Amino acid sequence: MKTWLLAFAGAAGLWAQSSAPGVDTAMLLERLGSSWPQHNGDYTGQRFSPLKQINTSNVGSLTRVWTFETPTTIKATTLMVDGVVYFSVPDNVWAADARTGKEIWHFSRTSLGDHLASRGVTLFRNQIYFGTPDAHLISLDAKTGAKNWEVVIADWKFGYYISAAPLVVKDRLLVGMSGDQLDMPGFLEARDLNDGKLIWRWDAIPKPGEPGSETWPNQEVMAHGGGATWVQGVYDPQLNLTYWGTGNPHPVHAGNVRKGANLYTCSLVALDVDTGKLKWYIQTSPHDTHDRDANQTPILIDADYQGRPRKLIAMASRSGYFFLLDRATGESLVTVPYGGQNWSAGVDARGQPIPREDVEPSLDGAFFEGTTTNWYSPSYSPDTRLFYVNASHGFSIGYLMPDPETGKVEDHQGGGSTSLWSENMLLAIDYQTGKIRWSRVRSGGAGGNGILTTAGGLVFTNESGRLVALDAATGKMLWNVNPGGNLSGAPMTYELGGRQYVLTPVGGWLYAWALPERAAGR
Amino acid sequence: MTGRLFRAAIVLVAAVAAASPLQAEQRGANPNLLRFCPGSGIPCVEITRDAYDRGHDQFRSSCGFCHGPTAAGGNGGPNLIFSPVIRQDEKGADITRLIQTGRPEKGMPVVPLTPAQVADIVAYLKARIAEVDLTSGRRPGRDYDLKKLLTGNADRGKAYFNGAGQCATCHSADGDLKGVASKYPPIELQARFMYPAGVAKEATVTEATGSQVTGDLVRQDAFEVVIKPADGPERTWPSGSVKVQVTDPLAKHFELLPKYTNAVMHDLFAYLATLK
Repeated sequence: MKTWLLAFAGAAGLWAQSSAPGVDTAMLLERLGSSWPQHNGDYTGQRFSPLKQINTSNVGSLTRVWTFETPTTIKATTLMVDGVVYFSVPDNVWAADARTGKEIWHFSRTSLGDHLASRGVTLFRNQIYFGTPDAHLISLDAKTGAKNWEVVIADWKFGYYISAAPLVVKDRLLVGMSGDQLDMPGFLEARDLNDGKLIWRWDAIPKPGEPGSETWPNQEVMAHGGGATWVQGVYDPQLNLTYWGTGNPHPVHAGNVRKGANLYTCSLVALDVDTGKLKWYIQTSPHDTHDRDANQTPILIDADYQGRPRKLIAMASRSGYFFLLDRATGESLVTVPYGGQNWSAGVDARGQPIPREDVEPSLDGAFFEGTTTNWYSPSYSPDTRLFYVNASHGFSIGYLMPDPETGKVEDHQGGGSTSLWSENMLLAIDYQTGKIRWSRVRSGGAGGNGILTTAGGLVFTNESGRLVALDAATGKMLWNVNPGGNLSGAPMTYELGGRQYVLTPVGGWLYAWALPERAAGR
Repeated sequence: MTGRLFRAAIVLVAAVAAASPLQAEQRGANPNLLRFCPGSGIPCVEITRDAYDRGHDQFRSSCGFCHGPTAAGGNGGPNLIFSPVIRQDEKGADITRLIQTGRPEKGMPVVPLTPAQVADIVAYLKARIAEVDLTSGRRPGRDYDLKKLLTGNADRGKAYFNGAGQCATCHSADGDLKGVASKYPPIELQARFMYPAGVAKEATVTEATGSQVTGDLVRQDAFEVVIKPADGPERTWPSGSVKVQVTDPLAKHFELLPKYTNAVMHDLFAYLATLK
């Protein structure tokens, strides 16, 4: 009887697989398992995989099992569902066999607009969704790569484009927008999964008279305020809230023309997914003048804080501060710098750093010390209870650069800075205190160093131009390989046919790593 | 007609922007050619300095009163850099028509200009948009005015130099720093005294055999130690296989970095700027 049931379940599974590829709502609501169904693995943003075939005892024997080559740098996180991997670069999406890397289909569409990055695609039921350099949202048939529909989200001539993978929540896609070349306002939109129609829109910059408008000096400045939603947010189904970081205010370096906190730029915001209404916010860099945006992935953690189980949200922001909050209420629990900085004199009652006016870029140069991170994905391991983030620490001098003719700031930047010294590192942070448990300094460039953690006790990332696997508890190096370039997007992992794979984009190559067949127990 | 209007004053270059607009401008082979690259994969705009200046002058005299001298808005006229009409007018036809017909309903008069003058203005506006759409910061150039940087007090700077900063333990105004203010442009002097770029650490590697190699430290990380001896090519060893002794000539500068305040930086600069 039991055998029959299993056989039936197996057949049913096969049937389901062939008739309805992709992921369904139930799969999205689960914690990450053997596949990688969404950008951050699951809704928590933890990028922690329960897979442990590759672990601290055998990771040293990892070997490359396939390579997929694309014409340009892959900055996306790959998805894997039902034996198929999906990934993107600007204007291009591929589906490939997850065992062999053999191409299944390729969608290509030439576009105008900013081609800085595509951070990945989104899969739901039989559709692949992604954004384009000219700020369109496109749906493809997941089996064939044929286009279903396409809608315009914004005008690329104003600097808008879409690099973040849309987030599927209930019956809608949450579409963040990118853009940093013009002083335009940022927003987040909810779009219908079936046809891309607008459901709601949340503007990162308030309209005159709305809450937050009092943090801007006038309407003109506010109308060009910034606050892009470059990086995919996370979602708590029980609380019905989605959490997103917003970009810096504009002009980037010129604080003198936009006195005030400049809400809701450089903020972590909690929005009701049904209405798009703001539930709470915390500004990680109030009145930012150093491009310290909040476009970092926040991570949902269900764990103790001071001995009591809490629904937490953590973010290591680009401002150099680590934040821990109650994600239902926005109550601030921890706000501490994770490295040297001189731009904030302290923290206010809401847990927000207080900016110092005398480090704002100036005509005579302002000395600045900061510790920072960027868009690249952090990770949290429930096993080690550590929050991992790639960061850098540096000193610079910031200058205000008004137009020589008018004496006013007229370009989007308003200034710039001269770097004096900087250093890159990986930090393992205790989520309850923000204290650094261990760190590793690296040489060379740090671009796009995403992080993956696994139940095998491992951290996968990039260090000094190599792919590395570290002991998640201690930071000890257990495996490294020189792949001929830096990790260019976040690593991810999946299990298929009893074998665990780790995928790492390095420039135009997507590499799949696994244990040798014998070591994998096959 | 249209062809003549746009007599190569503006060139769209379908190239991926690799450098910031300012860098591109400075590194261009033709010093008279300005190149503005507003984003990754967005066509750069190239325009000769002469054409830019000609268009700017024409704009300033014909349009500047209302729209501001740099098109950023002025007396009643909107900012044209943020104008959808200007941005979406790829070939300049709409701009030309607006100049020729005016917008009486919005108080914009007909501006009597020759087709060549209109073309100059269109080219300027297109270049101006690309110039303003910067994706990376704009730093002061080597010609940055000394007066802008001279906000500190030279006497206090001198006291810090000889006192708390302990600069005088390694440097002297009459010795190695004599004429330093004439040697570097002011903007470079400001960064250099804080932490000079391009000064390598010195390292001595001792191999297992006991033999030693000394040179500039190129890189030291978890994987490799790389040294460039003064009289030979780079040498590389796996980290951990050799003993490495590092001397940092900038160690004192590095110790000072986290201790600086803006005031000290400006005072020290004011003092060093007197060492001509």
